[in-house]
Amino acid sequence: MTVFVAVGLSHKQAPIALREQVAVDADEVPARLARLKAVPGVSEAMLLSTCNRVEVFALAERAEAAADLAAELGPAAAPHLVARVEDEALRHLFRVAASLDSMVVGEAQILGQVKEAAAQAQAAGACAAGLGTAVMRALGAAKRVRTETGIARGAVSLSSVAVDLIRKVLGDLSGRTVLLVGAGEMAQLAAGELRSAGAGELLVANRSAAHAEELAARIGGVAVGLGELPALLERADVVLTSSAAKKPLVSRELLARAVKVRRYRPIFLVDLAVPRNVEPAANGVENAYVWDLDDLESVAAKNRELRAADVGAAEAIVEEELRAFLAARRERAQVPVLARLHAHAQDIAAAEAERTLQAMGPLSERQQNSLRAMASAIVNKLLHAPTQKLRDEGGGPLGQAASDLFALPAPDDREGTG
Amino acid sequence: MATLLVHIALLAYAGAAVIFLVWLARPRDRLPSWGRALLAAGLLAHLASFGVALAQVGGSPSAAGLARAGFGSLAWRGGQLFSLLAAATVAGYLALDLRYRLPVAGAFVAPLTVAVMVPAHIVQSGARAINPGLAHSAALAAHVVAAALGTAALALAFGLALVYLAGERQLKAKQPGRLFARLPSLELVDRVGWRLVVWGFIGLSVAIGTGSLVSREATGAVFIFAPKEGFAVLAWGLLATLVQARLVAGWRGRRVALLVVAGFVLLAGSYVALLASAPSGAASERKNALTQGALRKGLPFRERALFPSALRRTPRAA
Repeated sequence: MTVFVAVGLSHKQAPIALREQVAVDADEVPARLARLKAVPGVSEAMLLSTCNRVEVFALAERAEAAADLAAELGPAAAPHLVARVEDEALRHLFRVAASLDSMVVGEAQILGQVKEAAAQAQAAGACAAGLGTAVMRALGAAKRVRTETGIARGAVSLSSVAVDLIRKVLGDLSGRTVLLVGAGEMAQLAAGELRSAGAGELLVANRSAAHAEELAARIGGVAVGLGELPALLERADVVLTSSAAKKPLVSRELLARAVKVRRYRPIFLVDLAVPRNVEPAANGVENAYVWDLDDLESVAAKNRELRAADVGAAEAIVEEELRAFLAARRERAQVPVLARLHAHAQDIAAAEAERTLQAMGPLSERQQNSLRAMASAIVNKLLHAPTQKLRDEGGGPLGQAASDLFALPAPDDREGTG
Repeated sequence: MATLLVHIALLAYAGAAVIFLVWLARPRDRLPSWGRALLAAGLLAHLASFGVALAQVGGSPSAAGLARAGFGSLAWRGGQLFSLLAAATVAGYLALDLRYRLPVAGAFVAPLTVAVMVPAHIVQSGARAINPGLAHSAALAAHVVAAALGTAALALAFGLALVYLAGERQLKAKQPGRLFARLPSLELVDRVGWRLVVWGFIGLSVAIGTGSLVSREATGAVFIFAPKEGFAVLAWGLLATLVQARLVAGWRGRRVALLVVAGFVLLAGSYVALLASAPSGAASERKNALTQGALRKGLPFRERALFPSALRRTPRAA
């Protein structure tokens, strides 16, 4: 039976500077997979390289192959590497896929990254049924975790929380106009997320026209003058403010006028500036929603708590799925022993039945069949308990014991004689 | 057979209501699909019950046919009227859900349907005998259908208005609750709600127009100043204002949602008034018997149509 091995490091063992050194670029993956598969005793291998981890999952003839696989990750990684074997290695794969080992527990990216790693390994001819089945089961467990627990619900970064809330008000973001007031980093991040979510026009306003133009060119927007703010509020669906202005740029009255001109189309203002750029009272304007940093942080904190509360349930699902997979794997491993045991016993029974039939003299066809059936039934009854025991025990020492005890012919011998 | 089918439909609706409510408490991706499937199965049984009842009266689409289909007799029972409304609401919800995926509205529609259907089939409310002169009235058939469809659309708009108000309140208070993640976007709720209001307004307008025709056929008066009619006209007036404000001034969001809630409450008042004015079952049967007697005596059509006067002119009929 082959051994499942996992070797690698993650954000838990190594700082980002080291992870950057060890990380494998996407175009280098096929070559690296070929080297991993060439390690003596390794039959299948998969490489998972993300910004938070570089790990090799492999099937090998013996556990010692872990050391050779580790060497393939380079000397810089060596002091930080963790090697896991069999149940622990599989548990790790399941936990990684379920995002339980991620820096932000429940993040969705890892599921796609594991899928991608498996596809790359398959394309490179490094992954076959053994590793492929394990990855599929790990992905299945991860999907269960995502649908049956709350660990993936609710955004936990401020920019994602803002985008989620904007979607809650405006729905589909395609074609929406986003106005960026100021050049704060988080506002740029949120603008980028909105753009990825399909937002249309991106307007950039700043006190300095040069800064506005520079930022607009960098993020693919259009520079506009801050003096046009009243008109811009009538046009934009989302406003992200992060200006260093000492006094609010958007007052309640200004927003109320803009909303009326907009014919009450909703507008969402995310105020990421300190001091705030939007008067808090502006949140009272009909169909206008004003959220500042503290508001966003309180939602993010709540989401983090909700995710943490469901980690136990997620771990239980992973463990349940892992146990089912391990049991099935061990049963599959026992099949050759069971098959050889049954075939050996039935061969003996059939031979003895034939000898007895010859000794008994002429019998009808029906009588002969009854005798053969009786011999076969005795074998089945005798082997019922050992068969069950072997299945329950999985790939442990009983399989070998049964093979030795009954002096079972090796699989190759049977094929040769058969 | 028709009754059995309605009971099956009621069970399916109840199952869907439980599933949608469980989904609100414990979100699982599969639950809304099961809820939809049960609602659809319930609706099929419900429509089949109407079909069976219609077949029993020869499939006539007249007022009498409709009455027998939905209500099993020539008497309109208040509870049975709600059965027709429930079927229209469920059908409307399933159509909406197919287009916009609004399981949260299912969590409103399914329990509401059960709440409406239980009195329809367990509590036998008072019956209102159909004026025999109106049994073949196309205006009455159109009135019933338009009222049912319009009310169903407004019931759905009412549900969505409540969803809107809940979502908007949480966003304004900046305290997203447990249900927040399952609420659709405010924009979608507002847009779909507005379309339903327009359809509801059209249905209500047709219902009021055809209702006045029925009234003229029955009593000679185009409009009767009674609570049922009063509530309906008030609801219509409010909805007309809403439609105008939306089209002219661009009203949307919270104020529209509040007006929809108020309009539906007024419309519900019209149904309450209808139920409250229904005579007891025994009185209705007596009236029916008297009317049949009047018809057998060969009174002229006008007098047959004017039900009360026909009664006055047959001192000891039947």
